[in-house]
Amino acid sequence: MSKITKSSTAEYFAKNLQQVGFSSPLKAVLTTLKEAVDNSLDACENEGILPEVSIEIAKVGTGSTKNTDLIKIVVEDNGPGIESDDLAKVFGEYLASSKFGKGQCSRGQQGIGISAATTWAQMTNARGVIVTSKTKNMRKAVKAQVDVDIKTNSGLIKNKETFEWTKTNGTKVEFVMDGRVQLNGDGGLLTYIEGTVLVNPHLTLKHKLLDGDWITVERVSSEVPQVPEATLPHPHTFKLGEFITHSTLFGKMTLSKFLKTAFSRISDQSINDFIAKGLPKNLLEKAVSSLSEEDFKKVFSSIQNTELMAPSTKSVLTVGEDALSKSILRLGKVDFFSVVTRKPQICDFKPVVVEVALARFEDRGGESDTPVQLLRFANRVPLQFDKSGCAITGAIESVNWKSYGLHQPKDSLPLGPYVFAVSVVSPFIKFKNASKETIDASEELVDEIRKAAQQAGQKLSRHIKKEFKEADLERKLAHIEQFGPILVEKLAQITGAPESRRKKAEEGLRKILGRDSQDAMAELEVAETKLNAQKQKEAKRSGIALDGETEGLQFSEEDFASESETTSTQATTTTATKVVAEDKSTTKATTTGISTTTGTTATTVATTTTKTTAKG
Amino acid sequence: MMATGGLIKVRELKIDIPKEAKNLADKMLRDLENSKRPYLEAVKTSLDNSFYNSKVGYLTAGDKRVRTELNVSSVQKLARVVFMLEILLRNLDIGAVNTKRELYYICKGLIKGEKKYKPLDFEDQNESDSIIDFIGDMMQIYREELNCFANDRGGQTYSNQLIVDETLPDGTKATIDLSSLGTSPFMPKNKPQSLKLRARKKIDFALIVESEGTANTLHTMGFTKRNNCILIGAQGVPSNGVRGWCKLIQDELEVPMYFFGDLDAYTLQNIFRTLKAGSAASLIRNADFSAPEVKFLGVLPEDVKKYDLFCYNVKESDPAEARALKKAKDALDNDPFFTDRKNKGLSDILRWLMKEKIRCEQQSFFSVDPKDPIKTEKIILEKIKNRSYV
Repeated sequence: MSKITKSSTAEYFAKNLQQVGFSSPLKAVLTTLKEAVDNSLDACENEGILPEVSIEIAKVGTGSTKNTDLIKIVVEDNGPGIESDDLAKVFGEYLASSKFGKGQCSRGQQGIGISAATTWAQMTNARGVIVTSKTKNMRKAVKAQVDVDIKTNSGLIKNKETFEWTKTNGTKVEFVMDGRVQLNGDGGLLTYIEGTVLVNPHLTLKHKLLDGDWITVERVSSEVPQVPEATLPHPHTFKLGEFITHSTLFGKMTLSKFLKTAFSRISDQSINDFIAKGLPKNLLEKAVSSLSEEDFKKVFSSIQNTELMAPSTKSVLTVGEDALSKSILRLGKVDFFSVVTRKPQICDFKPVVVEVALARFEDRGGESDTPVQLLRFANRVPLQFDKSGCAITGAIESVNWKSYGLHQPKDSLPLGPYVFAVSVVSPFIKFKNASKETIDASEELVDEIRKAAQQAGQKLSRHIKKEFKEADLERKLAHIEQFGPILVEKLAQITGAPESRRKKAEEGLRKILGRDSQDAMAELEVAETKLNAQKQKEAKRSGIALDGETEGLQFSEEDFASESETTSTQATTTTATKVVAEDKSTTKATTTGISTTTGTTATTVATTTTKTTAKG
Repeated sequence: MMATGGLIKVRELKIDIPKEAKNLADKMLRDLENSKRPYLEAVKTSLDNSFYNSKVGYLTAGDKRVRTELNVSSVQKLARVVFMLEILLRNLDIGAVNTKRELYYICKGLIKGEKKYKPLDFEDQNESDSIIDFIGDMMQIYREELNCFANDRGGQTYSNQLIVDETLPDGTKATIDLSSLGTSPFMPKNKPQSLKLRARKKIDFALIVESEGTANTLHTMGFTKRNNCILIGAQGVPSNGVRGWCKLIQDELEVPMYFFGDLDAYTLQNIFRTLKAGSAASLIRNADFSAPEVKFLGVLPEDVKKYDLFCYNVKESDPAEARALKKAKDALDNDPFFTDRKNKGLSDILRWLMKEKIRCEQQSFFSVDPKDPIKTEKIILEKIKNRSYV
């Protein structure tokens, strides 16, 4: 018989770093950054601190492994700091976490990530992480190198020193490791930063990537998200075995008391409902410890067959439509966007909240024939790899985006210069792997994401429709300008008609086509009215005041001064809260022979549709 | 040097094209002056406006018209039509001829030279072609009557008996004795109106072969030496040149004509039907560009059995083949040529093809006796003798 040996957790992970996000030099950099930022944000949220995080990434040399650079990753926060005694545990020991199994929607869950980053740095550059930390209780900051002792799964502190830090509290980590840096694209650092900025409206982020300058993205919300307490479990999140095991924690408590105290959303009324669904009344006053398996089955099935209130919205955390709306403006100049936060639902026995933000950016590349940029989030952490296997991607691809005015090849992401951000928040997200790159595609979850995407799509379609009508009008006006004179000129040439006939024909043409343009304008007006109705509804619901709503976006007086005279409904758009819809149908219809005659319809048409901006 | 007025007419045209065009333009201008929407009307060239009478022998147009009325959406098309019309009228006036592609470039040249025409610009030739076709359909004239000629493909002709007299645009004559061309074919192009046909000796039949390659093989192996015939390669769907040429042979020589091609839905519908009765897209020209007397010699379903020919299965999983089957079904339901009782033999073949889901290529005759290089010729002659055709 071969000898059975026991290896430490650290040994296991050191050999299997690919399982936790270190499968390539590219991913190593991104995962390290991600783990460090996640820890900073989680720590700040726990202490009610508005986070200010700075990120610096630089190439400092050539890596020891083939085709890699030596990359320095520095992340500094204003969080509570880590006590000197805890440094070894946090950075050098696997599965040492303050969050493990708590049933909270924190970013980190198990306490693997940052230790894995330390291991990677140690394996590629023979040096773990250098940590600087100060809590409010410490007089001086402590700075030390932490390595992972692979054999014993514990942290090793080296070169420890204390010094005066200008900060009252905070943590700074510095990794130097083999890696490669990609800025753009699905696995890019900028994509990660944008995603993090989007779903963390309360975060102020400074970053300097490679040779770029320092960039600061200010926060747009001064509310620290309240990470919900782990609430009592919802009975519908249980399976029978779990239910029975759970009961053993309550000893001789009666069944009725057990149900009411061990679970959320069970009231006296619900117990009556259970009875109606087949729960034997006589069991209610029996001690749970005395119930047979058969009894438990009856109880369990009556509970599952009864409709209960959805799990508390407090057990899941949302960014919220308003905060998302503000945050999205930080990513660039937005043409228009729509956001949807769904009510919490139970998917796969767990409470889940799905949020979707769809936006079109003015300054973003994205050709009309390339797929939209899909940003995926799980518990407010961007997911950047293995897109195709993810529940979010599957759900987005299964929506018929054509009905909302987007182009979409069959069973694929829609096309266009849009960013689709989909966030799934749940205390227990089912990931496909430990590196947390893809959410497992269960039918219920996909369906829930689909619904959110469809709602957002409906809102988006109003913008697209209006734009389509605007383009239509513009095209029609352009047609009149361009082709009308040629038609008349050529007809006159073929017939040899005199100048007088030609002039009269031009006038007639103008009259005919002016009528058509008026029809197009009326259609545009209908589309605008619908859009404005939607915006007003949104504004009313979220009750947001106008002032300060568009932080980060500057409007000039002119934007409002030049509002259309004919489309009176546009005046109401100023009440819309979240939408920045810039009408680009600036029409230059006054140069040709067709539109210079005053008093004709065509002239009126050509000069009225000018630049309008609806302020959010 | 330009050949002024030397072009020989395709047919006796009842209308004076420049005069007609001028009237049309004048009416449009008048409508505009009165703030009325001018419109252009053309024959609707589609299957739902096609009629077939076996006595006439080709597809003719019904009463349906396509009407393009001036509005913001159609103003571009109308402007393009009058722009192109003016070019074509000038060509007629000075006797210049062009291909569609040349006209496309002439338009581009004119547009480049005059900034205000820029919006008219054609992105590709399809756009200008459709305008030329519309003008033809609108005035019910052939594009050749607008001095627009295409480089028609196919029609390679071999014969030891046929002599062609061509009247050239400048009025001079040329005589082509096909027996003197060796293995090279005579190419008729699309100018049947300027050709006169004579036979050195009585011609027994004309054979049109779908594959130009196979036609060339037959000729090289002595088909035209051993038979008093005309052998023509169609090279796929017959072009106007091939169609006009076959019509000319039919009318001038009055010889039996046979078509030999693949046994599949595409050949029957797109190649043979077009040769025999014209097409829905060319309703206004079918009268002069179809040869109603031509018979379908094969490959016939009975040949497949008789000679145990090698066949392919038609896979419905293949999108192209599935489409062909669907089109065949549509043809049986809606194509007046195939629904006509007189062509029951042909529609029966279509039905047979749909049922059996196989297709058989003309070259499969070469599998019957692989060691006999003229076996295909023998089968063809045997089929003609036994009246094994539809």
